[in-house]
Amino acid sequence: MTNNTKVSAIVPASERYDNSGSLARDYLDALNETGREFELVFVLDGKHSDLADRLLELAANDRRLRIIQLAKGFGEATAVSAGIENTDGSIVLTLPAYHQIDSQEITKLLNELDTSDMAVAARWPRAAASRFEVVRRKAFHWLVNSVSGIAFSDLGCGARAFKRVVADEVPIYGDQHRFIPLLAVRRGFRVREVQVRQSEQDRLKKSYGPKIYLQRILDIFTVVFLVRFTKKPLRFFGMIGSVTFLLGAIFLVIVIIQRLFLDTPLADRPALLLSSLLVVLGLQIFALGLLGELIIFTHARDLKEYTIEKIVN
Amino acid sequence: MDTNEEMDLSVVVPLYNEEDSVTPLYLAIAGVLDTILGTSEMIFIDDGSRDATFSVAERLAANDPRLRVVKFRRNYGQTPAMAAGIDVARGRVVVTMDGDLQNDPRDIPNFIDKITEGYDIVVGWRFDRQDKLISRKIPSRVANWLIGKVTGVPIKDNGCSLKAFRADVIKHVPLYSEMHRFIPAMASIAAPRIAEIKVRHHARQFGQSKYGLSRVYKVLLDLLTIKTIAGFASRPLTWFAMLAAPFILLSMVMFISGIVAIMLGAESVLTMTASGLFFASLSLFLIFSGGLAELINRTGDTAVVKFPLLTAMEINPDEVRGASTNRRETPE
Repeated sequence: MTNNTKVSAIVPASERYDNSGSLARDYLDALNETGREFELVFVLDGKHSDLADRLLELAANDRRLRIIQLAKGFGEATAVSAGIENTDGSIVLTLPAYHQIDSQEITKLLNELDTSDMAVAARWPRAAASRFEVVRRKAFHWLVNSVSGIAFSDLGCGARAFKRVVADEVPIYGDQHRFIPLLAVRRGFRVREVQVRQSEQDRLKKSYGPKIYLQRILDIFTVVFLVRFTKKPLRFFGMIGSVTFLLGAIFLVIVIIQRLFLDTPLADRPALLLSSLLVVLGLQIFALGLLGELIIFTHARDLKEYTIEKIVN
Repeated sequence: MDTNEEMDLSVVVPLYNEEDSVTPLYLAIAGVLDTILGTSEMIFIDDGSRDATFSVAERLAANDPRLRVVKFRRNYGQTPAMAAGIDVARGRVVVTMDGDLQNDPRDIPNFIDKITEGYDIVVGWRFDRQDKLISRKIPSRVANWLIGKVTGVPIKDNGCSLKAFRADVIKHVPLYSEMHRFIPAMASIAAPRIAEIKVRHHARQFGQSKYGLSRVYKVLLDLLTIKTIAGFASRPLTWFAMLAAPFILLSMVMFISGIVAIMLGAESVLTMTASGLFFASLSLFLIFSGGLAELINRTGDTAVVKFPLLTAMEINPDEVRGASTNRRETPE
């Protein structure tokens, strides 16, 4: 790949962003140094008028800085999509909206695309506020790895470079932006992790609220859903449903036998309640699986399972 | 060549790590296509091979416009490979076969004859199978019997990849997971006219067999899925209502026995009536699920609605049709 391919750098400014304008300057300088043609697009996901003012000042001097304003806060993934939609560079680079990585490392990330389809930054060496923080991070990535079978060490880092075809084929919406590398691997793209220096500001950051933890747990659910559920819903739901149903059915048989042969009164036993609840729940889960399978069955021809790299003749 | 031009025949071959087989396979198929009247094409799908399969096929394609090669980004498995081949196929008849040279392309003309006779699907039967007895032939015997019993489509050899389809039918059959083994069963909603003919079978020349006993569990699960889906896909509301019926009955029995018990002087019947309530709510849930399923069936261009129309055929009294009287039977 030549150095002339245009880079579209996208900065989704959602909930957490740096409003000083120094970030944009850093990125501009770093991108300048790569020697490639580029555009730097800030997507303002929400009002963010403080940041907008700073950026407008900068943009007046440098037309390569563009600003896209979303009507309200739609979330980071939507901001990234909006950026991709409104740019045309053959290389897409997403960058965090606050000082997370050392901007000098952008070159390294872009160069990695010569041999792969996507390069994901991982902050290393990485500072941690506490030992607990380290454990939490390890546990999260271990869980993601065990569910998806794909190992990444820093999915929280927003700096990623990828070819536009990746963006075309991987759907990005909702809370999925964190898992774009994972989805890309599943689509058959070559994804490489690149170690980058952490920025000084990010090293000093201390606090992580309970919100983060909740969010990470939800993220795990997202991965389970994306990986396990979407292709074979009946296998996934059917398994859970039948186990629940069987448990309930066994309980039910036991209480009925006890009623018939041991004369234990049935009418006011809590065990009856529990077992019928399990039976009901199991069947409901199973019914949901059937609905999912029906969606796949009726639309299998549209929801293509495979990705074609090229067709000869 | 115009990429949308319709032709008479497409031969679809999924390939996975078959660098040694590609050239002999190409030569064998090309030899057969030369003898067939009408336009035809070969479609090789490289299912993310790690060896030279693609480059060998690409070189062959450079010299023969009839050969098209589809390259997957990664290995997806045989069913998606077949699905991709069928999706890009332009032929009115689609023949699928394995890429390991165990099927013989010389059988292809027989398949086309059967399709011309009016069959929608023609499946091969490896009556003289060249595989290991214990690990391959016996499990496959059992599996075929089971598949036939469960799906109601009795085919002697579901595992044989050499099959021919009318393109209209196969292009609408949902193909996902490991379903390529059950295409006839999947298509059974459309009640296709299925014929089974004997085919030659050769022992493996190159490479390793890619399948073992481990797939049995997956096959069984897929089988159950197909059975269920095929049973309820065309009229889900009725199907779910039938499923709900015993629970409506059960909840009524529980309510009534609760009331009777109260009349007879029982102290507490709370759990009994509560369980009755659970089952009543379950039956409602199931019926609503049926409604939702109807909605799914109505969204978009769905297979279920279109299916039965694919195999509809006008019967003409002027035409003498030798095969029409016993078309549904499996001829020898």
